[in-house]
Amino acid sequence: MVKGQMKIQQMAVMIVAVFFFFILVGLFFLGIVFKDVKGGAGQLQKEQAISSLRVIADMSELNYDSSWSMSLDEDKLRIMSGNFGGAYDLFWPVASVEVFKVYPRFDEVEECPGVGCNYYGIYDNGQGGVKTYSTYVAICEKVRESGSTYDDCEVGKLVVGVKQPLAAGGRG
Amino acid sequence: MKRGQFNFVWLFAIVAGGAILFLAIFGALRFGDTARFQSDTEVAKSIAIITDPLQAGFAEGSFGKISFGQETRINNVCFDDGFGKNDISVATRSGIGKEWNLPGGATSIHNKYIFSSGGSSGFDYYVFSKSFNFPYEVSDMIFFIPDNYCFVNAPYDIVGLDIPNVEVDDCGSGDSVRVCFGSGDDCDVMVYGSCSSGCDSVFDEGVVVKDGVDMKYVGNLMYGAIFSDKGIYDCNVRRLLYRAGKIAEEFVDKTDLMDARNCNTNLKPDLIFWREMVGNASVDDLSSLRTMANVIERKNSREGCGVW
Repeated sequence: MVKGQMKIQQMAVMIVAVFFFFILVGLFFLGIVFKDVKGGAGQLQKEQAISSLRVIADMSELNYDSSWSMSLDEDKLRIMSGNFGGAYDLFWPVASVEVFKVYPRFDEVEECPGVGCNYYGIYDNGQGGVKTYSTYVAICEKVRESGSTYDDCEVGKLVVGVKQPLAAGGRG
Repeated sequence: MKRGQFNFVWLFAIVAGGAILFLAIFGALRFGDTARFQSDTEVAKSIAIITDPLQAGFAEGSFGKISFGQETRINNVCFDDGFGKNDISVATRSGIGKEWNLPGGATSIHNKYIFSSGGSSGFDYYVFSKSFNFPYEVSDMIFFIPDNYCFVNAPYDIVGLDIPNVEVDDCGSGDSVRVCFGSGDDCDVMVYGSCSSGCDSVFDEGVVVKDGVDMKYVGNLMYGAIFSDKGIYDCNVRRLLYRAGKIAEEFVDKTDLMDARNCNTNLKPDLIFWREMVGNASVDDLSSLRTMANVIERKNSREGCGVW
C-alpha cells in the first residue's frame, strides 16, 4: 500500500515536472516569437516614416503648388507651426515633423518666425529618442516686385521621426 | 491489491496524459490563431504603407496591384468625427468552421481616404487613386477594387482609366459588375450625369445608383460612389469636406501673410464663407457647393499671386 502510494507520488511529481518543462519551453519559444513581433512592428513604423516623407511634403496643408512635388509653402509652414497645427495632432502617421532651411549653413537652430530663422516645428508627439529620416525640399513663397510675381525658393530639409509602436499621441 | 494499484496508475496516467495532450493541442491552436492574427495585422499595416506611393500627387492618377497568397477580405470601417479615419483590417478565408477567420488588428489611417466595399474579398486587389479638388486640391482618394468591372457608354475621360480589371465597353465575361453611364442593359450600377454648366462632361456631377441606393457625387467622387458602399462613401465625403474646411481656414490665415508682403489677394471673404459652408457639409450639399467652388477657382486663377 505504502509502496503503491510512493509510486503514485513519484508519477505525479514526474508529470508535474514534465508539465513545467513544456511550459518553460513554450515561454522561451513565445519570448523569441514576440521579440520578432516587436522588431516587425518597429520595422513597419520605420517604413511608414520613410514612405510618409513624400506624402507629407505633397499634402495640401504644406505643399507650395499641387503641380510641384517636394516643395513646401513657407506661408503654410508659418501657419502650421503656430497654433493652427494643433488641430492636426492625430493626423500625422509619424512621431514628429520638422522643416529646416539648410542654406546658408547655420550653427544654431533659430525657430521661426524671426529674423534669420531656420527651423519650423510642425508636430511633435513628445516621444523621446526619436529616430529620424529626412529629404531635401524646396521652401517657396510668392513674391511681387515691380508689378511682377515670381516664386522665391530656398533649399530646405523635411525631417520626420519614426513613431514607436503603441506610443501615445499628443502634442509635445 | 496489485490489480487495483495497476488500474489506478493507468487511470492516473491516462487522465494526466490526456490533460497534457489537451493543453498541448489547445496551446498549438491558440498559437496558430495568434500567429495568424499577427500576420493579418502586419498585412493591414503594410496596406497603409504600400498605398503611400500610390497617391496620385501631381499626376492625373496612379494604380497598383496587391496580391495575396490566399483569398483575403479587407474590412474597411470609416469614422467621420473631425478628420476621421479608415480602420483597415484583414481576414483570410478559413478552411474549417466559419467562412472567414477572425480579422487581425485594425490599422487606423487618418490621412488617407480609402473607398472600398465594407468587406470585399479576393486574391488580387487593384488599387488606384484620384485627387479630390474642391476647388483646391484637398487630398487623394484611394480605391480598392477586387472585382472585375465593365463600364458601358463611359465618357471619354473614363475610357483612359487603363486599369486591368476595369473593362470599358467591351464586356466579355458575364461575371463582371456592369456600370452603365446614362443608359444600358443588365446594369448593376447606373451613373446619371447632371452637370449643365462649368463642366467638361455631363458626368462631372450626378448620381450613382447602386442596389437601389442613390449616391450624389461631384468630380472624381464618382469613382468612390461606384466602388464603395454608401456608408463608407458618405463617411469619406464628410471627412474630405471637413478637411477642405480646415485647408480653407489655413488659406484665410495665408491671405493675411500674403497681404503683409504686398502680394495682395481679394479672396479672404470668399474663403471665410467657403470655410463655414464646407466644414460641416455632407453629400447632399455637394452640388450647390460645386457651383461656389467653381466661382472661387475662377477668382483665384485671375489673381496675380493666387492663394493656391
